[in-house]
Amino acid sequence: MANTKTKTLSQAQARIERRRITSVIVRYVILIVVGLIMVYPLIWMVGATFKQNSEIFTTLNPIPKEPTTQGYIDAMKSYGGNINIWRAMLNTYSYVIPEVVLTIISSVLTAYGFARFRFKGHDIMFTAMMAMLFLPQVVLNVPQYLLYNKFGWVGSPFYLALIVPTAFATETYFIFMLIQFLRNIPKDLEEAAAIDGCNTLQTLVRIIVPMLMPAIVSCALFKFMWSSNDFLGPLLYVNTPAKYPATIFVKLSMDADTGFNWNRVLATSLISILPNICVFFAAQNQFVDGISAGGVKG
Amino acid sequence: MKKKVLAVMLSSAMAATVLAGCGSSGSSDTAATTAATEAAAPAATEAATTAATEAAAEAGSGDYENCTLTMDWWGGDSRHEATQKAIDGFKAKYPGIDVQVNFGAWSDWETAKAAEYVSGNNPDVQQTNFDWIGKYDADGTTFLDLNTVSDTFDLTQYDQSVLDICKDSKGGLAGIPVAMTGRTFYWNKATFDQAGIETPKTLADLEAAGATFKDKLGDNYYPLVIGEYDRAILMTYYLQAQYGEPIISPEGNFSYTQDQLKEGIAFIDKLEDEHVIPTEEYILGEGADSMDKSARFINGEYAGIFEWDTAAKKYITALGDNGSNLVVGTPFADMGPKGTGSYQKVSLMFSISAKTEHPHEAALLLNYLLNDPEGVTAMGTERGIPNSKAAYDTLDKAGMIDPMNAEARKAVEDSNPMYWNPLFDDSSLKGDSPALYTDVFDQLSYDQIDEAAAAEALYAGYTAIAPAK
Repeated sequence: MANTKTKTLSQAQARIERRRITSVIVRYVILIVVGLIMVYPLIWMVGATFKQNSEIFTTLNPIPKEPTTQGYIDAMKSYGGNINIWRAMLNTYSYVIPEVVLTIISSVLTAYGFARFRFKGHDIMFTAMMAMLFLPQVVLNVPQYLLYNKFGWVGSPFYLALIVPTAFATETYFIFMLIQFLRNIPKDLEEAAAIDGCNTLQTLVRIIVPMLMPAIVSCALFKFMWSSNDFLGPLLYVNTPAKYPATIFVKLSMDADTGFNWNRVLATSLISILPNICVFFAAQNQFVDGISAGGVKG
Repeated sequence: MKKKVLAVMLSSAMAATVLAGCGSSGSSDTAATTAATEAAAPAATEAATTAATEAAAEAGSGDYENCTLTMDWWGGDSRHEATQKAIDGFKAKYPGIDVQVNFGAWSDWETAKAAEYVSGNNPDVQQTNFDWIGKYDADGTTFLDLNTVSDTFDLTQYDQSVLDICKDSKGGLAGIPVAMTGRTFYWNKATFDQAGIETPKTLADLEAAGATFKDKLGDNYYPLVIGEYDRAILMTYYLQAQYGEPIISPEGNFSYTQDQLKEGIAFIDKLEDEHVIPTEEYILGEGADSMDKSARFINGEYAGIFEWDTAAKKYITALGDNGSNLVVGTPFADMGPKGTGSYQKVSLMFSISAKTEHPHEAALLLNYLLNDPEGVTAMGTERGIPNSKAAYDTLDKAGMIDPMNAEARKAVEDSNPMYWNPLFDDSSLKGDSPALYTDVFDQLSYDQIDEAAAAEALYAGYTAIAPAK
């Protein structure tokens, strides 16, 4: 009697174990298949950097038939000694990093203001700001260019036309996201801080910012990606090849009429996105927390 | 678990974003442009000089002020290199004049330049597109009238007829037409050999080739592949051959009636029915945005293209080892009673800003780049086969003119080149949908509209920008 019971129990355990293993296998197979489909274009791109044009357009196989490293050799070429890929990447980060820092500071300040204080015109200003969310960048190009040209920022070696605007909380989406996040932070904490003698700014820096950190990291990452992928901005406001960022550098060799070697363009692209990918993986956990927290609780 | 799933989903989404980002930077550069260059020039050799250019160079090099000029152009690698080299030569020859350059790819280049024209800080010397005269220099205040610097820039190297088409509304010469480009056929000889026929010399040959290809090689082989814009151009060739008039006159009037347009459209429709050209559905189904990226073209299934002669190089390159199979076609003498006609237009120009503080020095630079043997040798045929006689002689003697390009140029010039009005490329007509050529020829090919409706739509579109006579 006792024996049968044990047997059934061990059978049951074995069945549970089998089910667990099957379920793990099924899950991983699905994940791997879907993952491969997702990553396939990237794998293809890496393979294509080693192919000739004719092979790039005729096969889906990511493994090159006649591998060539000419793409990478060409990618290292400089244009008249003015600009090469490393210089271009350095240029990119020399304005992307200030842009990210200024965007974060200005957006947090603005979001804090809108979320925690009632002032005259609060609602109208908030509505106006939200309306800006729907304004496409295209319509701003010409007026902005004229304005920055008046300020003498066009062609500035310090990328003023790209950097300065970010100090004025121009990323409405981030402000919106931060406000949503702030609504979930209990006001009691700030009251406690006030009782302990914090002034408004101290409350922001010591209490709010640490709590907002996941959201801030998401904003920083988004801004980092958007800025480093921006093409038209630098094209409009940078007019010396030595100051070109990677987005423009990648395209320099792309002549629509006479054709060009895609392997070079792909190799340059691949090299120039590596830092972005590294930054993303380094901050991945914080980033995911930030979006999910904002999304679920907002 | 929930969090993990979310994490996986989000990181996949992120990866997709990153990919999308680099995808667009890698493939969006397909806008058909009027700019063009020819075969990368081999290392420049010192060329013999003609007396005329020596005189011209001498005349200009007299006195000049020390200054800094700005200059920009668009293009690809080899053009960037050649132009920078030529400018280095200029700086060595005229010490004291510094030239600050800016260059890029064509994609969005015009957007950036348009912003500059609006604010008036365009550079002193600039590579410009032919249709920019109408777009940005309508009142003649953007580009300098080059007749005012004719003592420095040697205009006698150019045919007056060529200079005449670069005039702005006030009669000023808005730009120097560096090179001309024309539409012509290129055939993949290997495929025609496979089908056992010669490359087409007449329209009848081409029409017959459709059936032969279908029978001998299969349904997926076509003697010619043409997109929507190509169809519009081929249609005008046909109409010109029937009636002998350019579709839009130099005065900006539309020359044909709706019934005549319908004939042209029927001609294109017939080519499609006879298996001469594939349907748009079949072309677009492959997903290649231009034929040099089409596996069917690279494999030889599409055995003919209809292209600007300055753009042929990319198709030859696309064919890889089989590049030599591509041969220049001759215009069809039997297109219609008025003979053949080919489009020939200014490939690109160089202009000087009307606001420049140093017109004399800017003209010196242009003269060096376009007429001076030294500059010309460095520039090569990066911008097409030069119109300047001095430049042509220099390059010809140095053996720097690509024979295939020269052959294509000759084919166009021999075919009674017809007047080309930039209005033909108006943004309401040419380009991605909604643009008339794309919409009409797609719908026609998909059988969504009949020939009459297509003619009506095209007629309305043309007469909206170019009133009927």
